[in-house]
Amino acid sequence: MNPAPPAATGAQSLRTSLRILGWTGLGLIAVAVSLSDFLASAPPDAAAIGPLMLPPTEAFKFGTDILGRDMLSETLHGLSVTLRLAVPAALIALLFGTLFGSVAARTPVMVSLSLRWLLGILAALPALLLAILLIGLTARGWASLAAGLSAAPLGFVRSFDRASLQAHAVHTEYARATGISSATLLRRDLVYEFSGTLSTSAARALAAVTIILSTTSFLGFGAEPPHRDLGLMIAAAKTYYLHAWWTAAFPALTLMILILFARLAAGLDEGERP
Amino acid sequence: MLRFVLNEAGRLFLGLFGAALMAAAVAALSVPHAADGLAYFLVAWGGRINDLIHLRFGESVISGLPIIAELAARLPLTLGLVIEGVIVAALVGIPIGFLFGAGPARRAAAPLIQIVAAAPVFCAGLVLAYGAASLLHWPVPINGGVSIVLFPQNATQAQAMVLPALTVGLAGAAAVQLALRRSAAEAGQQSWRFYLRRMGLPSWDVERNYVMPQIFAGLLASLGEVMLALLSAAAVAEWVFSCRGAADLFVKSVALHDWSATAAVLFVFAGLTLVAQFVGQCGARLLTSAGPAR
Amino acid sequence: MRSRRLLDIKDLRVSRASTIELDGVSLTLDAGEALVILGDGSSGKDALLRIIGNFSDRGQEATGTIQFGDGEARPAHKRGRSNLRTTYLASARVAPLNPHVSVVSQLTRVVANGLGVPGSSASEDLRLALERLAPALPFAALSKKSGEMRDDELAWAMLAAAVAQTPDLLIADHAFSGLTPTAVAALAGALADAQKRQGFGLAYFAEALQTAAHLRCRTIVLRQGKVIEEGDFEKLAGGQSHAYTKTLFKALPRLSEVTALRGNSRGEPLLQVQGLDLSPRGKKPSSASDAISFELRRGAALALVGEEGSGRRALVRALLGLQRFARGRVVLDQVDMGILSAAMTSRLRRRIAFVTGSDAALDPRMTLWDTVDEPLRAHLHLPRDMIAGYRETALKRVGLASHAAGSVVATLSGFDKRRLQVARAIVSAPFLCVIDEPLRGLDAFAQSIMIELLTELRKQEGPAFLLITADMRVAQALADDAIIFKQGKLVERGPLAEIMRAPKDDETKKLLAAAAPSRGPEPPAAPATIAAKPASQQAPVSPDELDPPILLDEPIADESAVTESPG
Repeated sequence: MNPAPPAATGAQSLRTSLRILGWTGLGLIAVAVSLSDFLASAPPDAAAIGPLMLPPTEAFKFGTDILGRDMLSETLHGLSVTLRLAVPAALIALLFGTLFGSVAARTPVMVSLSLRWLLGILAALPALLLAILLIGLTARGWASLAAGLSAAPLGFVRSFDRASLQAHAVHTEYARATGISSATLLRRDLVYEFSGTLSTSAARALAAVTIILSTTSFLGFGAEPPHRDLGLMIAAAKTYYLHAWWTAAFPALTLMILILFARLAAGLDEGERP
Repeated sequence: MLRFVLNEAGRLFLGLFGAALMAAAVAALSVPHAADGLAYFLVAWGGRINDLIHLRFGESVISGLPIIAELAARLPLTLGLVIEGVIVAALVGIPIGFLFGAGPARRAAAPLIQIVAAAPVFCAGLVLAYGAASLLHWPVPINGGVSIVLFPQNATQAQAMVLPALTVGLAGAAAVQLALRRSAAEAGQQSWRFYLRRMGLPSWDVERNYVMPQIFAGLLASLGEVMLALLSAAAVAEWVFSCRGAADLFVKSVALHDWSATAAVLFVFAGLTLVAQFVGQCGARLLTSAGPAR
Repeated sequence: MRSRRLLDIKDLRVSRASTIELDGVSLTLDAGEALVILGDGSSGKDALLRIIGNFSDRGQEATGTIQFGDGEARPAHKRGRSNLRTTYLASARVAPLNPHVSVVSQLTRVVANGLGVPGSSASEDLRLALERLAPALPFAALSKKSGEMRDDELAWAMLAAAVAQTPDLLIADHAFSGLTPTAVAALAGALADAQKRQGFGLAYFAEALQTAAHLRCRTIVLRQGKVIEEGDFEKLAGGQSHAYTKTLFKALPRLSEVTALRGNSRGEPLLQVQGLDLSPRGKKPSSASDAISFELRRGAALALVGEEGSGRRALVRALLGLQRFARGRVVLDQVDMGILSAAMTSRLRRRIAFVTGSDAALDPRMTLWDTVDEPLRAHLHLPRDMIAGYRETALKRVGLASHAAGSVVATLSGFDKRRLQVARAIVSAPFLCVIDEPLRGLDAFAQSIMIELLTELRKQEGPAFLLITADMRVAQALADDAIIFKQGKLVERGPLAEIMRAPKDDETKKLLAAAAPSRGPEPPAAPATIAAKPASQQAPVSPDELDPPILLDEPIADESAVTESPG
């Protein structure tokens, strides 16, 4: 199959540049995470590395927290944990959301309508609450799966509705009138909708699950110590950050940068939402 | 129009029905031995559906009160936050959506909006709290100390209420501006704008009577998504600012495995989103088919 | 007495970026005069339209002078108020109105703005104009939304709105493009009458000659920004001086003198229709005489001719098993379609190809190569190199071999999409080709190439043709026999030559007359009816713009109606 390259226009080239920026940023983050053991000056959750509650200095660029942990090292480790949870969650959201939605739209009418109804109800719930429910039903160790599954319904609904439009389009009627099968039509969707937009969907899913995972951790349902992710770090800092802004600011900024790069990689078109 | 409304009402009914079934399934988990096997679960589920029909919702594990009473006590605060959030969302999101909805402004604004929208709600809440505490010296209910009430009785309570409302509102504003910009982008591609102007109608006439209703209709059609964003933000804001609302009840119920209370809150939230979707779709349809006044 | 001069353009040059759109064009237009400006997409007529209509365009640079009415001549690059009341008439097929609001609401607003009167008064003016132009179209029909109206109905409504404003100058922008010949004839006749009655100047911009053939007025031919021909239509039709203009007039099929009967006795019967009743289920069956029976042999070509809504497409849908029918029997390739399962029907349909004038028939997401490959891959499971070979041959035959493999269908021109459909049909090796208004929306040259490609397809691959058209010239070019439809009923049938020599039914006569506009002035015509003349008295015909073909009954969304993008 031969997916075609997009035509270049003024707005398109800006879009492409920002997309490249987004993917580059994600790549750099991935490199930093893989080298976190070398870049960090302390192992994860290592207390009493420095003075307690020290503001950023030359020695401790991100300062220290209430247990004397180096915030720079902790932030790097936290980013690593966040990404290790977010990537599988994004894949799950992609498979059970976008891909499943495309496939479901091509199933027999009763099956597709039932699936649409069921997933539509799940999509009517905030993904965050759904993730909390799933984690509560299973365990905190399943946070990645829960985040992926909670982000899936909205992705499913959007993908299904898009595929349904194609399924009822004029060209589909002509294709069926010439004996083109549902399987071949599904292959068109998978090639041109799914794989053609795979990178966009993946980046969008990554942004969405990162927000869900970090928020569930903040609320106490996600990562567990000693494997603290950025959300859990910010939650821990909540008690005293008003007097020690750096304990929450750097993890929060790092989290925002990760989400920003993921969103830029997903493109600037109207799919800015998670 | 009537056929459309009936169609949407049918979808709303089916959605609420499905949400009720889902809530009953969650509530069934609180029945002893429900998780022992599929047959046990189905029996428990059936029992919960029966309870629902007879309006029996059980008691909360947290307070021991009937769940209905617990919800009645907490839901108004959440709804209050959502309504205040809607107001902020409209005041902030609509102007941004229109200002940066089309043309070069849209291209320039998009990256900036992405940067702002990349902040998770809890980060935004903490930033607002920090700003209020450091710059305005407001009492901040981050770690308790100030209780959030729906109808503040004094300045301290009013100040404390502003922060969660603003947090929810800014999240709603992000959703509103996205819906407006998406809608404006779609309206911008319509050929009839071009041809109506060529037929002699002034630009402002076309924009006011035909384009704006379409853009607002797009916003209304996205009301369900906006409601999702608001409810999600309300859940986070209640936790950050220690509000005892329905979302806080949900979080605690899940932590304590009080599935009946969890189910009740889930159903209410799903219902709010579905009703918002219904109202939005009908409103959008009404707006686009009404046409301009002669 | 010399008529009032409405327009005086001298030495107009228009460029955009580094492209010269118009190069030294001068023209005049007086009150009561009609002028047709002909040219293809790159001829510069769009730039001329913008200047004449006083429509702004930020990217263009213009030199030369322009004078509107009694006003001062001004430099073309300066936009100023024109003292003429100018109205603009768009094509109904470019989605010119908001699809969510009623047509009457929008057109009333346009008229009210044009006349500077309240809405109620404008509504009355619109109603009166419509009544005069198209008495068969009730004013209440305009309460629908544009997507719910037929294209010709919308065209009448927009013409009424333009005329109701009592303009000094009416600019028609491909206004009747894509409509059936009968509709074009009626609309052009009504426009000419209105012009004579009100005395406005008419500037009609077109790519093809059909409307010009009805208006029969002064014609300017533009090519690459220059005027290459100017004169009365009669003179140009008779003996054009420029090679390009000659080709323009020669390019399209003519409703020529009747030739010898072409036989239909080719192969065995491919399609046999016996007593087909297309009445909706549950309704009282129509009489036995209304049932349709015919036969199509292998390699033969049958045209189903009729206006929009005459039942041709419903018949084809029933033949292909896409629509149920109350009574009757359809045998395709010796198989009774009524007893086949869905899977078997699908297998049978693999030998059917479509070539339609609907741009929406191809999946816009697919690439050029994939569109051609798909039938080979999906139905025959051929290896890649074989597929490549067939694909290359097919694309070469239709002239698309030079296009990039990854060209997305959405980016192709209408002509390229049409040829791509033919390429896809070639590789399918069909036994039946359903051809539905194949020339719709194409300019004169493209139409002649399409006719050649389809004729070649039939010669080389040998499929039977089932042609759906409202134009007798297309039927004559591609088919041997014809069935004439009117309001769901079969009114005449037989070899085309016979039908054209001696048409029996009024509908047939009407279709023939619409395909060959008379030399004399057109009598005023109500919608969908025109005065017909016998074929022997008909002048050599001019090229064609055809109605929008939609195989599916349901009106399709705006996407397919939008054929032009605004500047």
